[in-house]
Amino acid sequence: MRASLSIRGAAAAGLVTLAVLFGAAPQANAEDVTIEVWSHEADEPAKVAFRELAVKSFEKSHPGTKVKITWYEKNPLGAALKTALPAGKGPDVFYVEPDQTEYITAGYIVPLDDLVNWNNIEPWARKVWTHNGKTYGIPQEAYTVELYYNKDMLKKLGIALPANAQFTQAQFLDLVKKARAAGMTPVSQGVGDRPYPGAYITVEALLRKLGPDDYQKLFTGKLSFADPRVVEVLKWVKELADAGAYPKNFMTLKLGESHYYFYSKPGALMLPMGSFYTGRAFVPEDKGGQPQTFPLGIMQFPAMDRGACNECKTSTIGASFAINAASKQKKLAGEFLDAMSTPEMGKMWIETVYLQTGIKADVKNFSGPYAAYFTELMERQKGEKYFIGQPRDMVTGECKDSFAQVLNSGFPGGLLSVDQTVQMMNKACFKG
Amino acid sequence: MRILDRLPLVGTRDRSFAAIDARRANLGILVAFLAPALLVYAGFTIYPVIRTFYNAFHTIKPQGVVEFVGLANFQTLLLADSTFWKAVANTAWFAIVATIVDVIGGLLLALCLFARAPLAPLLRVVWFTPVLMSYVVVGIIWVWMYDYDWGLANTVLRWLGLAAFEQSWLGQPSTALWSVLVAHEWKWLGFNMIVFLAALHALPGEVLGAAELDNCGWFAKLVYIIVPMLRTTILNLLVLSFIGKMMVFDLIWVMTGGGPLWATETVSTYVYKRAFEWNTFDLGYPSAIAVLWFVIILLFVAIMSRLLRQRDKLEF
Repeated sequence: MRASLSIRGAAAAGLVTLAVLFGAAPQANAEDVTIEVWSHEADEPAKVAFRELAVKSFEKSHPGTKVKITWYEKNPLGAALKTALPAGKGPDVFYVEPDQTEYITAGYIVPLDDLVNWNNIEPWARKVWTHNGKTYGIPQEAYTVELYYNKDMLKKLGIALPANAQFTQAQFLDLVKKARAAGMTPVSQGVGDRPYPGAYITVEALLRKLGPDDYQKLFTGKLSFADPRVVEVLKWVKELADAGAYPKNFMTLKLGESHYYFYSKPGALMLPMGSFYTGRAFVPEDKGGQPQTFPLGIMQFPAMDRGACNECKTSTIGASFAINAASKQKKLAGEFLDAMSTPEMGKMWIETVYLQTGIKADVKNFSGPYAAYFTELMERQKGEKYFIGQPRDMVTGECKDSFAQVLNSGFPGGLLSVDQTVQMMNKACFKG
Repeated sequence: MRILDRLPLVGTRDRSFAAIDARRANLGILVAFLAPALLVYAGFTIYPVIRTFYNAFHTIKPQGVVEFVGLANFQTLLLADSTFWKAVANTAWFAIVATIVDVIGGLLLALCLFARAPLAPLLRVVWFTPVLMSYVVVGIIWVWMYDYDWGLANTVLRWLGLAAFEQSWLGQPSTALWSVLVAHEWKWLGFNMIVFLAALHALPGEVLGAAELDNCGWFAKLVYIIVPMLRTTILNLLVLSFIGKMMVFDLIWVMTGGGPLWATETVSTYVYKRAFEWNTFDLGYPSAIAVLWFVIILLFVAIMSRLLRQRDKLEF
């Protein structure tokens, strides 16, 4: 009797346990399909609005289909994907950037050649995501690396921008010294939460000095950092750092904070930044955007003495999207990517995010409150020769870690000499 | 038959006062009620540990292919990874110094409250409140406090006329780790304080009274009576503190990310970077770091326990 009671008790407790653990399966309509999307850039309202509009338009054209976007910050998104994907889980579609080639080599994203309408995408943008003849990501955001400046501050220093908007090396160093002497912070930059912005001035100088071929060789381990041209550039950047180019809180200032530092408090003369600057700057002032009357200008990065390509400029693809290899809705996911990449959406991207795009969009005339900005941005592209890609798209593993710690942070932060920088970068990157 | 009639009796013939003896409860019922917690424990603790040990001896290649590499990961780690050794040194320094400060600082604060210092109730709240904050919040607060331009640390220095000592506290390799340590102590000292305070209140009053009757000064009372009687608590806190500091991650991650120039890189942050930031899905190498560190912590704890164990029974 006692035994049967205990067996029945155990069985009851076991059933309760299973019910609690697994719960009742939610009632679902057999026809409802949900596309899960994981996206970065929750803190950029224009991009959020753009993607949510794409969702609405897709849901309207695909009755019974829902799109659910989960927003992440960049690093947590990477960590979430790296745990979900090997488990065969994760969203149908997720945000990626071109330097994240590990998703391709590990087979976690599928080629999109037959899933997406490539007629709407710029061929050069598609090429960034093409590996071994297959294209793995759909590029949405394109940007160039620009040198923003405060026109009023430059005027106050009594310095005129050259006609081609490009200072020489010596003029730029002089500008930094004069700004510091006048109590201005010459360059607003911070490396508190990103592994690349501190290196902008260095790598743009290296691109112009070395030219695109040797620049690529440098960051793919085929050219030594001890090359005299590289050393010359590093010496110049060291002079800038020693002249006080960067703010004292350079090491802890976050990317978003550096924007605010530049156009608001305390203000700075220049801000080297990708043209995704607009995502944070062109929002209402009470949400952290730049003041309406801020005298924003764009100049070219300085020309290097005996530079191989002073008209060179970095352009790259930023925000892109890929389809999870484990997705059970690849075709539908591809259609959602198409919905985000129509010419109309491309035009909307340019006109609301104020940023270039990999989508083919015919925008000849700009309107709206920031039309003058976009006109000047396009002006700065004239005659430029693009190098597609950034160093962080080319470096991996230990080299990537050293890039973040050395070229991005330690060297511009004044913690390393030129020799130490050369030694550390060669140790991590140069393959001999 | 009443339910009470079916219950096993404990120490009394009177069924109306029968108590349930859990030690004699049926095995089936025990298993059934422990099963949910055990399942969760197995799934979220035991399996990940076993899997980490497994991964440490393998390389996970593209397309999910797993290759057994034996001790190759450990070999590379010990012989060819200078960043790992930097992380070990940083973690060791942090663990040793923070543990000592934790225990001594917590004891001093507790003694202060035990001695009924003025405003003791308020001080108890003030000192314990940071313990209730998450490491992320503490990290953000202290990043602001250490900011060069508008942070409290440099502002106070300027106000005191010590502007020459202004620093980029988190931006210099020589000060970054110690700056993080200060933030850590700010958060954690209150916890040890509370534990010591409870232990102090549990001390036999007649022993302390007898010491006072014998004209024992406060310092002698502390060194010869209180500390020996708190030995178990001290040892437990030393071990717990040490283990916690050897695994420090969140505060470092929020405040410095392991920089500048790996000056605050700890083993935990390095494992995270190797696992999630090195353009690879191979968890073999970071698992090897985690396994090695686990073994090292176990060894240290065993050595500490052996060295600090009480040899003679305390008589009073």
